Amino acid sequence: MTKQATPTLAASLVGMSVLRVDDIPLLTGAGAYVGDVNRPGQVWARIVRSEIAHGRLLRVDVEAARRSAGVVGVFSGSDTPDVRIPLRLEWAATEATRAALQPPLARDRVRYVGEPVAVIVATSQYAAEDAAELVVVEIEELPPLVETRAAAENAHTVLHQTVGGNIVNRLVFGYGDAEAATRSAAVVIRERMDIHRHTGVPLETRGLVAEYEPESGRLTVWGPTKVKHFNRSALSGLLDIDEGRIRYVETDVGGGFGVRGEFYPEDFVIPWLAIRLERPVKWIEDRHEHFVATNHSREQSHDIELAVAEDGRFLALRDRNWIDLGAYVRTHGLTLPVSTALHMSGPYAWQALEIDSSAVMTNKTPSGTYRGPGIVEATFVRERLIDRAAAELGLDPAELRRRNMVPVEALPQRIELGHGVVRFLDSGDFPDAWDTFLEQAGYDDLCAERDAARVRGEHVGVGLAAYVEHGAVGPYEQARIVPEPGGHFAVSVGVSGVGQGVRTVLAQVAAQELGVPLEDVTVSHHDTDTIPGGFGAFASRGTVFGGSAIMLAARDLHKRAAAAAASQLGVPADEVTIEGARASAKGRSVPLLELGCAGEGRFEKATTEASFGASLALVALDPGTGKIDVRRFIVAYDVGRAVNPELVIGQLVGAAAQGIAGALMEELPFDETGQPLCTSFVDYLMPTAADLPYIDALILEYPALGNPLGARGAGEGGIDGTGGSIANAVADALGAAGVEVRALPLRPEDVKRLIRLAAGE
Amino acid sequence: MTRRIAIKVNGSWYEGDVEPRLLLSDFIRDVAGLTGTHVGCEHGVCGACTVQLDGAPVRSCLLLSVQADGREVTTVEGLQNAGGALHVLQQAFRETHALQCGFCSPGFLMSLEPLLRADGPAELTDAAIREALSGNLCRCTGYQNIVAAVQLALARRRGAA
Ligand code: FES
Ligand code: FES
Repeated sequence: MTKQATPTLAASLVGMSVLRVDDIPLLTGAGAYVGDVNRPGQVWARIVRSEIAHGRLLRVDVEAARRSAGVVGVFSGSDTPDVRIPLRLEWAATEATRAALQPPLARDRVRYVGEPVAVIVATSQYAAEDAAELVVVEIEELPPLVETRAAAENAHTVLHQTVGGNIVNRLVFGYGDAEAATRSAAVVIRERMDIHRHTGVPLETRGLVAEYEPESGRLTVWGPTKVKHFNRSALSGLLDIDEGRIRYVETDVGGGFGVRGEFYPEDFVIPWLAIRLERPVKWIEDRHEHFVATNHSREQSHDIELAVAEDGRFLALRDRNWIDLGAYVRTHGLTLPVSTALHMSGPYAWQALEIDSSAVMTNKTPSGTYRGPGIVEATFVRERLIDRAAAELGLDPAELRRRNMVPVEALPQRIELGHGVVRFLDSGDFPDAWDTFLEQAGYDDLCAERDAARVRGEHVGVGLAAYVEHGAVGPYEQARIVPEPGGHFAVSVGVSGVGQGVRTVLAQVAAQELGVPLEDVTVSHHDTDTIPGGFGAFASRGTVFGGSAIMLAARDLHKRAAAAAASQLGVPADEVTIEGARASAKGRSVPLLELGCAGEGRFEKATTEASFGASLALVALDPGTGKIDVRRFIVAYDVGRAVNPELVIGQLVGAAAQGIAGALMEELPFDETGQPLCTSFVDYLMPTAADLPYIDALILEYPALGNPLGARGAGEGGIDGTGGSIANAVADALGAAGVEVRALPLRPEDVKRLIRLAAGE
Repeated sequence: MTRRIAIKVNGSWYEGDVEPRLLLSDFIRDVAGLTGTHVGCEHGVCGACTVQLDGAPVRSCLLLSVQADGREVTTVEGLQNAGGALHVLQQAFRETHALQCGFCSPGFLMSLEPLLRADGPAELTDAAIREALSGNLCRCTGYQNIVAAVQLALARRRGAA
């Protein structure tokens, strides 16, 4: 793709790969991440965490720590208010779900290694760490629950007494008569499938700085992003402080991926300390803490069954699954089971669907949403089984998929799955998108390449995955545009930046709609003081919601300016033309700035935007080392309308890279006592440049009908099919032994075992 | 127990009474106040903290500040040319979208800068660049635009030579 310099012509801004507006500070060291925020008189917090996975908390002795040099204060659970970190997403939550919410500091039990039990505040980070070593935590150990299905069935050891078991909700989703449909099937594939624990791991760990001004009663919090308005209201509720007195300031962010910026225990503790001590308090998570404290994700187990007719028509999909939520329900509540169920259908038409999902508590770090939550998992289990069905029916896997895609005539389609979950497909053309993908990816050529390699005796395979992501979640977003001196426009909007370039994309939309050059627009989303409300950055919503709200605000500004100019110039409003920063009529003109008007826009939408996606992997297995060499990886994704194609490609490629590593390398294992085995970059295998292939990303643009921009999400689509297509490629490379590919990750030791199986050993 | 040390960072001397255990990364960030050097792991794997010590890339989280006493450190803030123009590598990063969150970028720039010196290689294959990058982690980009940035910078330097 060709690159363009920053254009000054506004007309074609949307759709142009302009350079990002924020890059120069980030490249010259002038960025300001939370670790770079320092306040006069600040003190440092250090969290003391449980080293035991499950037990009764008998005593937290802080006396020696309190006497340590530089210590300002030491607090344990009994010193803090008896509150729980609240739900942000309430769907399908019950009383049992809420009974498993987390206290900021453990009170009478500890339930995972890494659970906060005390906090040290000292004059330096070093002093705080020294003192943390002196805290004595006495725990009477209880049996740890580590394995998900075993925990679900265990009636003797229960993590949360008031829940009454280790399942915080069991949800049944679906429609149609799956049992009858299955009875009429020619082929039924049943399998147990498992996905391993891994997570987002942004390069910057979490951090917070909080400052309280006793005179004014104002509390300012730097650092959290993603959902700052929710976090502000949550903190306001927990501290019983009026929301208007709390200010959240977003800093530059070293990656989000779903895990950063949720309201965590520390998001209560650090502001609470700032008030209690009346001093600015700073906390920066270290990498070891990050691996035990920040949300994990992905760990699921499925008993899945696919029923297919003789002609290849999909009849029913039945799935019983166990979603491991770790030790507590965190802010996204039951999003993982809900999203897994919502995305189980993929782009296909099913006569019947039945999903029985248990959200399970175990003595491990709590799990939350990580880029493509539930989508990666659902796509892996479904797409693997589709390949098995294709093999049984003797059909090409691409053809079997194509035959079952929801046809364009069936759109829009709305299917209730239960518990308020709706599969809504508004527009697009799945079969056409699939054909385009196969052609552009060179599917036939890659299959020929595979066949030729096999003749040479190589273990090479091609794997496909198709999926639909229901992204761009509402409920609404609002924007405000104010003319400023010099022909500038200040745009404020309630979304969040997580390092993805959303400010550039929103500036493009604003400039285009206002008819001004990009450099005349400044977008801000950083400060809750200037933006009254907003929902932040999740579910690939920033461009769709932020962009649409900005379009409406720009139109509103033009309407108001035309009216004001009309009365000032003494002409009817429809004779006023607005060009850039001036309104004119009959040869006279007036700057918008002097008209004293601002534009407001609020974009609301109850439904999601569904995006079609597909990926293809070509892999070669090394029988000696078991290493999987991903020779080609191609992803295609429907973004409706690409505001900045290069940035979209950057999102797709970056997401695919994470997913490939998630399928092959990354893992968060625990031993049978609940001890985490990966707590540093030495054990957790993050992919380097040498580990990853070149990734091809194709942008598909089937305009969305539900928003003025015509856009769909882009942030997550690159990851959704990674596990599925890679597992299918590995299975293809193994031939008959490919049926054994039923779990992720696929590490070298797994591949060696499978190759021995394939060789009949 | 503290010790008085002086480190020349980007051409200016910074002095401090430091504990012997103070990491070089903390000296740079807290004593010199240069926050472009980032800390992603503090155990020597991610490379975000990479600076140059007497011209050679090092991980500042693996060195004690006392080890740099009297020596010269260059950080990302010292990479721009006199006059403030972006270094050829910074410019190439910008044009090829080699950064998203940017947290890793200072480390990559300081690791890669020697490749762009007068005595650096004229050309490199993508595979060789990937090897050269493999001591630094980036979680956002999948690396391929960073490879493209190095290729662009090398091409520009060849053109200028
Ligand atoms: S912070 Fe030094 S290598 Fe990660
Ligand atoms: S750009 Fe985010 S870690 Fe590299």
